[in-house]
Amino acid sequence: MSTQRESARGLPQLLNIPGTRLLAAVLAAAVIAYLAWKIGQSPPQALQFAFNGLAVGAVYALLAIGFTLVYSTVWFFDLYYGAAAGLGAYGVFYLRTSPALGSRADVNSIYVNAVFAAIVAGVVAWTLHAVLYPRLRGRFSPNTIGVAIGLSAGAIGAYAGVVLSYPAIIHVMLSPAVGVVAALAAIAIPYWIIQSFSPTIRLSLVAAFAGLPAALIGAACGYLVSGAPGAGLYLSWAVSCLLAGCVGLALYRGLYVYMRQRARSPLIMLVASLGILLAIAAFIVIVFESAPRPLPDAFGSAPWKIGGARIKAFNVFGIGVAVAGFAVLWLLLKQTSFGRAIRAIGDDEEVSKVVGINTTVIIAAVFFIGAMYAALAGILTGHDTAVQPRMGLLLLLKGWIASVVGGIGNLYGAIVGGFVLGVVEQFGIWDLAGEWKDAIAFILLILFLSFWPQGLLPRR
Amino acid sequence: MPFGTQRIRELTGLVRDPAQLARHARSNIELWASLFIIGWAIAFMFWQGVGFAIIIGTVFAIWAILSVSLNLIVGYTGLLSVGHVGFFGIGAYTMAVLTSNPAYEQLRTEAIPTFGWPFFAVLPICAVLAGLAAVLVGVVFNRFRDDIFVLASFGFAIISFNVFLNLRPVTRGAFGIHEIARPQIGGWLFDGELEFLLLCLVFLALVMLVSWFIVSSSFGRVLTAIREDEQAIEVFGYKATHYKLAVWVISAMMAGIAGGLFASWTTFIDPNSFILLESVLMVSIVILGGLATIWGSLLGAMAFVLLEEGMRFIPYLPAEYIGQARQAALGIMLVLLMLFRPQGLVGRYRL
Amino acid sequence: MTSTQSDHTDYALETEAISKHFGAVRAVDELSLSIPRQGTTSIVGPNGSGKSTLVNLLSGVLPLDGGMVIIDGEGLRVVKAYETPDHGLTRTFQEVRLFDQITVWDNIMVVLTERRLFPSLFERTRPSTRQKAQSILEQVGMWEKRDSLAQELSYGQRKLLEIGRALAMNVQTYLLDEPFAGLFPQMLERVKDIMKQMREDGSTIVFVSHNMEIVRELSDRIIVLDSGALLAAGDVEPVLNSEEVIEAYLGA
Repeated sequence: MSTQRESARGLPQLLNIPGTRLLAAVLAAAVIAYLAWKIGQSPPQALQFAFNGLAVGAVYALLAIGFTLVYSTVWFFDLYYGAAAGLGAYGVFYLRTSPALGSRADVNSIYVNAVFAAIVAGVVAWTLHAVLYPRLRGRFSPNTIGVAIGLSAGAIGAYAGVVLSYPAIIHVMLSPAVGVVAALAAIAIPYWIIQSFSPTIRLSLVAAFAGLPAALIGAACGYLVSGAPGAGLYLSWAVSCLLAGCVGLALYRGLYVYMRQRARSPLIMLVASLGILLAIAAFIVIVFESAPRPLPDAFGSAPWKIGGARIKAFNVFGIGVAVAGFAVLWLLLKQTSFGRAIRAIGDDEEVSKVVGINTTVIIAAVFFIGAMYAALAGILTGHDTAVQPRMGLLLLLKGWIASVVGGIGNLYGAIVGGFVLGVVEQFGIWDLAGEWKDAIAFILLILFLSFWPQGLLPRR
Repeated sequence: MPFGTQRIRELTGLVRDPAQLARHARSNIELWASLFIIGWAIAFMFWQGVGFAIIIGTVFAIWAILSVSLNLIVGYTGLLSVGHVGFFGIGAYTMAVLTSNPAYEQLRTEAIPTFGWPFFAVLPICAVLAGLAAVLVGVVFNRFRDDIFVLASFGFAIISFNVFLNLRPVTRGAFGIHEIARPQIGGWLFDGELEFLLLCLVFLALVMLVSWFIVSSSFGRVLTAIREDEQAIEVFGYKATHYKLAVWVISAMMAGIAGGLFASWTTFIDPNSFILLESVLMVSIVILGGLATIWGSLLGAMAFVLLEEGMRFIPYLPAEYIGQARQAALGIMLVLLMLFRPQGLVGRYRL
Repeated sequence: MTSTQSDHTDYALETEAISKHFGAVRAVDELSLSIPRQGTTSIVGPNGSGKSTLVNLLSGVLPLDGGMVIIDGEGLRVVKAYETPDHGLTRTFQEVRLFDQITVWDNIMVVLTERRLFPSLFERTRPSTRQKAQSILEQVGMWEKRDSLAQELSYGQRKLLEIGRALAMNVQTYLLDEPFAGLFPQMLERVKDIMKQMREDGSTIVFVSHNMEIVRELSDRIIVLDSGALLAAGDVEPVLNSEEVIEAYLGA
């Protein structure tokens, strides 16, 4: 694998090989000719297919972005990723299901809540320990810190359990959390802005000035949310993304860390995550049964008509989410020290360790974020079609194909690959039946792996 | 090892020192695992009665053919394929289409061409078609390695399911194909479960024999060398791609035979028998039993089939979730194996 | 530098302006050299001078970016790794590349067996091959270890086994990439003895080494590379004492 990365050859070098060049040219010409012919045949339909392509492409792009983030940091394929998509979608189903959706409304189970509460508590405890312990070590005794961390983690875990237990009033249950997050954001955002002008500004100073307004903003947000039952759906998105992320982090910290110390090959990690995928898929069926389930409508279902194409608001929203997700990750990777640490680990983990990067924390965060992206993609798919236990497998494959098409390990490639895959799939089924779109994606994958293994945008 | 005084002294020393005993037991994990699983199988036979054991035995034989054949690729050649179910499905659908009862099928809206050929004429065709598909897939997949290969084969499994589901003029899609013929020699129809079990065991024995023949030949040794270092073995004059393709096709043909047997045994198949998860289960069986051992694959298949029965002891587990519980248990087992015993129960090779 | 126009059969190996680039790095750049039949030729050069790349190019492990390799008088624009034994060429690797998870015995046996696909399926171990493997293992002192996995050997033993595996190929030309790196004196002597024996048997040996003492002791001819290009070639002492070589080594 490393040699493959070292000898990364981009488009220019590849085009020097005569056979490949000819083939690529012929294929590209054929695709363009086909597209032109189809568009000429029926412009509104072409618009419709293009839009549909962008809509599914958004999901693939989200998957590929998270996938790329994880893969380019630890260099193994984490198949939990597929399970995370399923967990995200089923999380929303778990929190928002109702008899009106024609399914079991009594799905809420104390055992599931307890398991997730425990996972959240464990993850919070570890995170607090990893982040705070080195800073507090000098000031307090280890026992004090341990008890404090344990208590706060326990409290947050219990809170998560309670939130999960009363999904009907999730907006009330979560209003304090929303308030706290809003208040923190009200302090952090001015701090970042000021910091970019005068780097020496102290957080305590900003906090002193912004503290009171922030508290008020927080309280207002909390109050608003507690009075808005309609916010429940969006809160449940956040909750299930966070839960999927927590599971991803817990898997990394509880399992992959040990495995990576022993692993001789990336295949060990791959097989282990295959086992996790298998187990989580089975648990999903046990808890939710295997039939496909709908999710509640997110934005109303009446489509807009633009140029003869029917465009659903939710799909536009999905595209927006993908672009926003890309932008957030781009900011994170290119503008922060966290991003630099991630890239350093991706280049050489051992060296990063030596120069003082806390690789365990950084990689854990990467797994958390990656799983959140997957969960988000799962949620979008769930709203667009339906949730079913096997959706994660297909989404995993699509996310991977998108990242291969875009160029494995390249963030820009991921979003481009996602949209390209979506559009190609949709135009591909114009003359075929819709059920062949997976086959088209697979053919695209094989073509890329065989003739263009570095993808559209090779990694550096 | 000769059972001399040295050995006796060792053994008496073991009894006195529990830590050493534990070490010894761990080093003999292969023996214990084999004994445990075989003991379990025998106990099961007495507990459930022979009738049920015959059914379980047939399931075992089909899984064992699949896992022995998959081990040729995964264990011996080092190509971690999760696409084996595709070839299994091709075999099963070949059997289904070519032998199913014409009169019944034409009643349905989704009519497919039917032939009504006899079982034993079709079984070789199952193997050949699976092999042909494997040639096509193998030529493309030959250049992929390690994790890329895994995910490409992952894709193949999903796509083959897609084809079974959507190629309705041949497979009748989700309706499935009914009334697949049971084997018949002259006037003797294999309609009893025992006869079918014996037939499956005969084919299992054949597959094992062929596998053994392959792995004990010079060819088999080259396969293990390819697994260890493909580039190095090329320097010594072997075309690794040809060897990989050959074993890939042989293994797929075995899976095709398993598919034919399966279709004929259940007499009804639909695409849900050929989902990706089945393929992942096959890989888990191979890894659980042990990579690069034929015996390990048998053991793994037996453990896998018995696991379902073991699940019945779990309190409060509704019967309809036993399959899922087994899947979950297998997944967790896979994780534990990767952590503590990457070569599987009786394997020689670590991933 | 000898002209490539001369009678080909004098040379076991020749290259004509071969190149290999890794991105912007020219690991081997328009390199032309010739290695005469029989005797020992050493390839030396500072780190990163393209020695290992050269060996990888000659044995087809890396594809050529340009130029031609002439093995035994036959010009090849593309060297296929699996055809090199047919040209009478084999090699060892700088970072030992044994077949780790099979036994020492099988590591030797695997290069002694049938190359054709279908005959190999029906081939069982023959007594003659068995004897050959045994004699090789005894020669490298690994007969006692025949049933252990290759990955269980010590570094020196692995190095020896790899040389044994090359020996088992029984070809005309051996490319040994750093056969002495990291060996204890005892092992070192053993490898030296094996190489002297090979030389006496009339084989062509090409080896890469950093150890000048051994290079002086073993080589009949020397090739000095620097930055992927030929710096000097010829008899050992004159080359090693020439200005430019000393300069290259002292890092001018």
